[in-house]
Parts: sequence; structure tokens; C-alpha cells
Amino acid sequence: METSFALTGKGYVIVAADTTAIRSIVKMQIDQDKIKELSPHLLMAYSGEPGDTVQFAEYVERNIRLYQIRNLYPLRPAAAASWIRRSIAETLRTRNAYSVNLLLGGYDTSSHTPNLYWIDYMGTVVEVPFAAHGYGSYFALSLLDRYHDPEASLEEGLATLKRCIDEVSKRLVVDPGKYKVKVVDKDGIREVEI
Amino acid sequence: MIMPDMDSLAHPQERRFNPYTENGGTILAIAGADFSVIAGDTRQSEGYSIQTRYAPKVFRLTDRAVLAVNGFAADGNMFVKKVKQRLEWYHHAHAKDMPLRAIARLIQTMLYARRFFPYYVYNILGGIEEDGTGAVYSFDPVGSYEREACRAAGAAQSLVQPFLDNQIYFKNQEAAQGTSHPSHLPLETVLSIVIDSFTSATERHIEVGDGLEIFIALSKGRTLQGMESIRGLQELTVTEDGERLFVMRRDLKKD
Amino acid sequence: MSIMEYNGGSVIAMVGKDCVAIASDLRLGSQALGISSNFQRIFPVTDRVYVGLPGLATDVTTLRERFRYRVNMYTIKEEREIEPETFAHLVSSTLYQHRFGPYFIEPVMAGLSKTPSGGFKPFIAATDLIGCLNFAKDFVVAGTASAKLFGVAEGLWEPDLEAEDLFETISQTLLNAVDRDAYSGWGAIVHVITKDKIITRTLKGRMD
Repeated sequence: METSFALTGKGYVIVAADTTAIRSIVKMQIDQDKIKELSPHLLMAYSGEPGDTVQFAEYVERNIRLYQIRNLYPLRPAAAASWIRRSIAETLRTRNAYSVNLLLGGYDTSSHTPNLYWIDYMGTVVEVPFAAHGYGSYFALSLLDRYHDPEASLEEGLATLKRCIDEVSKRLVVDPGKYKVKVVDKDGIREVEI
Repeated sequence: MIMPDMDSLAHPQERRFNPYTENGGTILAIAGADFSVIAGDTRQSEGYSIQTRYAPKVFRLTDRAVLAVNGFAADGNMFVKKVKQRLEWYHHAHAKDMPLRAIARLIQTMLYARRFFPYYVYNILGGIEEDGTGAVYSFDPVGSYEREACRAAGAAQSLVQPFLDNQIYFKNQEAAQGTSHPSHLPLETVLSIVIDSFTSATERHIEVGDGLEIFIALSKGRTLQGMESIRGLQELTVTEDGERLFVMRRDLKKD
Repeated sequence: MSIMEYNGGSVIAMVGKDCVAIASDLRLGSQALGISSNFQRIFPVTDRVYVGLPGLATDVTTLRERFRYRVNMYTIKEEREIEPETFAHLVSSTLYQHRFGPYFIEPVMAGLSKTPSGGFKPFIAATDLIGCLNFAKDFVVAGTASAKLFGVAEGLWEPDLEAEDLFETISQTLLNAVDRDAYSGWGAIVHVITKDKIITRTLKGRMD
């Protein structure tokens, strides 16, 4: 029951993903990091078909890095979202499509705005104030409709995230377990404990 | 001798009789403060074939109740027949017509009685209540019902109902400063909305057209205001109390 | 489950007197679950042509990018802006190229085309997902609320509406149609194209 959330606030994006790796009915790992740090100001939470996920995330990671090496500056969040979307959309109608759902959170150092993109395995991209993937989205999105505030401080944002996590563990048949939470703002990326 | 091929002997084959068809058409009813309008087109079709250009879907039940039936025509006709029979028995037992709200409940019971082999019909009941107000009751095939101000059902329900939301309930419309939307519209307005709805549905839906039958039930003491300009208006009945029932017919496009 | 209904959304275009209007809802969903209430599916092609792309959301983005590329190439090669009729055929041929593995989009176009006398003539068109063109004289609709849009538009639309009246007509048509569709709604956007300006307004709508 993979679940990931993300929300924007005043000058930051919080991205959270569960840390459980499941195969069939078995928990294989309970501390997996499903959030990649693509560049100094860009986070990507990934979920979906096991195998595709890590393969695709690493492919994206290396290409974003390559861009930075070649051009001496990183892609802005909007450009990264477009590039990632294309990678998914171009393989969609082939035999090797990636079944990966993403939440792309970044801080745009040029416009000084936090950006969050909801991306699904078909290559659907939309910029949103908050987002979720997996079964958790059925609980979290309604909570976020009620409690999300784009002007909230980081503490308030984390409190809202906590509500989502608690609700999912309470109401979802299978508790996704622990979460890894990362924040991106003007100072870069850091992991936070909740 | 015809030899059965080995395939059909090897596998059990299932044959099923489908007891239902859809015969198209659309019905619509709107309640006013002291009147009720119940309308339906008269085309009856099966698939892309028109079976007849005149098959009534709207029926007079009593002097103050009209029933519109849409869906599977055979079920519809049988259902109307059974309702009329029950109303006749009621009349013999009580020496009066059954009140509208009681007819509505009767229809619910009759539909739910067939919960596991339903009459494949959507019913709309229109008429005058005991208190003299115009009423519309709409039903699903198994008897869930509700009193409303207006309802469209049938093939073009999805075309007509949102138009009615806008024109009858004034949805998405803001009343002018210091005014409010009327809860009931005058008969003249209602009739033109009904006719517009059916001409629109006829234009865009292949199963709607040919003819339009509009029943108008008037509360007692109500004048014919708003009906002066109607051509071909036919009075069906008038009660001792003065409730009157009219029908008007219009042509719709036949293509 | 139908692919055409996976993300939801509807578009409508109408002709007025020396003006045209195109409007859409703003919902993006994943079947019954609402994801975004600000998903744009109408895009400017030139100063006088707009295109709406209801259908599968990933193909909205893919086609938008494809049309932008092909229109840019046209503009460079021809050294002039594309006319709405030409653009409609560009859309049609792009979609028909994928006849047996289509993009799940039913485009709606609205614009003003130049007349030989130097004036402008309203133009609207729509195609199905494989590019069969429909040049209507009154209005065109597409998307999950298309049946509802047809019904309301047929009742409200009349010929030769002025820009502001056309705005009111298309807005009321869209709003009342999407309110009866579970897959469309969550706000709306309307563009009215006239010869000297484009009026763009975001509408509030029911959020359920």
C-alpha cells in the first residue's frame, strides 16, 4: 500500500513517502528511501511497479545531473517536470513503458517560489498546491483540502502532513508504516523527523 | 441427416431470452403553484428503427393525476394498465378519486413489488394535490420517489435536465439586486420551456421526435390565464370542484 | 472504464456576431478522485485562434506540444500566422496519422479567420479522436459532459450574439452542463475572441 504526499507552504515544499518495500504479502524492507534528491533544490518521490521505479528514478537523476554538469546550472522545477513527463509519455505507447508515479517538489531559485508537480505513470502533469499518490491519496487529499495553507510556516506545514499520515495509518487497512520526510526551500534540501 | 458438429457437442451452450428492450423517447414534467404540466414525445423506436410515430407515453389517471411512463414500452403500458385498475378499485371502494400523494405511494409499492423482475420504466407523476398545489413526483424503476418542481426522464434526460436546472431552478444565476428568483413560474413560461426542451432534444437526439403531447392540470378556481394563445387545446375533464385537465398536441421534427 | 473518461473534462465553442467563444471546466481527476481544480486544457494557437483539448490528460500535454511545434514550423516557413481553417486541417491530419493507435483527445477549435476584404469571419470546428472534422455554424461540444452541453446549448444559443451576450450564453451553458456531470466541473474558464481583443475570465462554479 505505497503512499506518498507533498505540500507547498511559504517558501518551501514538503515531500513525504512511506519507507516500506512490499513484495506480494511480505514486507521486504522497512527503511527504504523513495525520495530522490535530483539537484540542490529538487526532490522527487517515486512509487509504482517495483523495478521500474528505481530504474526510472536513477535515469532521471543521472540526466538531471548531466544537464547541470554541461550547463553549469541546474534545471528549474518547471523544466525538470516537462523533461520527466516527456520521458514517461514517449515510452507510454511502447512495450517498455515505465509504471511510475511521481511527486516533484522544488524551489525555483530564480523566481523564489516553491513548485510542486503531480505526475502519473501516463505522463499527466499538473502543478498543484498539494498532492498525493497511492491509496493514501483517498484520505489525504480531503484533509489537505481542509487544512492546506499556501502561506503556512514549515511547522504548520509539517503539522498538516502529520494529520495526513495519522489518518492513513488509522483508516487504511494496511498501515504503510514509517515515512521519510524531506523539505526543499531556498537553503536546499534537508530531511526532517516527524 | 444433419450431423451435429463436434464442437457444439463438446461444449455446453447457453441460450438466454432477454425480456427487456429500450424504446427511446423522453418525458418531462414541471409543477407550478396551482398547475402541473406533464409532457412526452410520441416516437417509439427500437434500435435505429421507428416502430410508430404516435405511441402515447403520457396518460390521464384521474381528473387531477397524469402519469408519464418511459423506458420499455411493453412494461410501461402494462404498468399504466395496472395502476388504472387499482385506481378503479379505489373508486369503487371509496366513491372518490385517489389523492395524488396516495397515487405516488401506490406506484412505489407496485414498483417495489417487482424488485427482482422490475418494470423497466421511469415514471413521472404530475397533477394537483389535495391542497390545490401543482405537484410532480419522479420514480426510478424500483420505486424510489421524490416530489420535485421539475423532472426530465428518458433518452434525452441528460440533454434536458441541465437546461431545466437553469431555466426552472435558476441554477448558476444570480437574482438582480434586492430581488429573488420565483419558486414557481407562470404557466405561459412553463409551456414555452417545455416546448423548447423538446425541440432541442429532437434536434440532437435520434430517439426523440415526431409528436409532442402536453397535459395541463389546473387547480380549482384557476383561470385559463396563460392559455389564451394556445392553438388546438383540448379539455379532457372538469371535476365538480372545478379542477380541469387539458391536453395540447404539437408536431416535432420527424427526421 | 473508458479512457476518454479517465481524467474527465469538457470543452465547448460558440459562434457570435463577429466573435467566437471557447470555454472549458478546470477539473483534472483520476477517475472519481479529483486531483486538480486548475488544469488548463484550452491553449492559444495564434492571437485569433484557440484550441481546447478534452480527453486523456497526458495526451492534452503531448498534443499541445505537438501543435505548438507544427504551428511554429508553419509560421516560420510561410512567414505568416496560420488561419483557423488551416489549423483545423493540421489538427485533423495530426490525429489521423495515429488512426490505429489514437491520441485520446477530441479537439475543439475557435477563431476568427481573415476574409479577402480584410474583415474577420467567426470560425469554430471540432474533430473526433481520429480527426474527423465537424465545421458547425452554431456551436461544438466535446468531453465527458458533451450530451449535457448539447442539450443546454441547443436551448440557450441564438444567432448573432454580441461578445458580452455570447460570454453569458457560453458560461451558463457550460456551468449548468458540468453541474450534471460528475467528471467535469471544479471551476471554468471562458475566452471570447473579438477582432480587437480577447476577453478571458475564470468562473467560479460548484466544487462538488
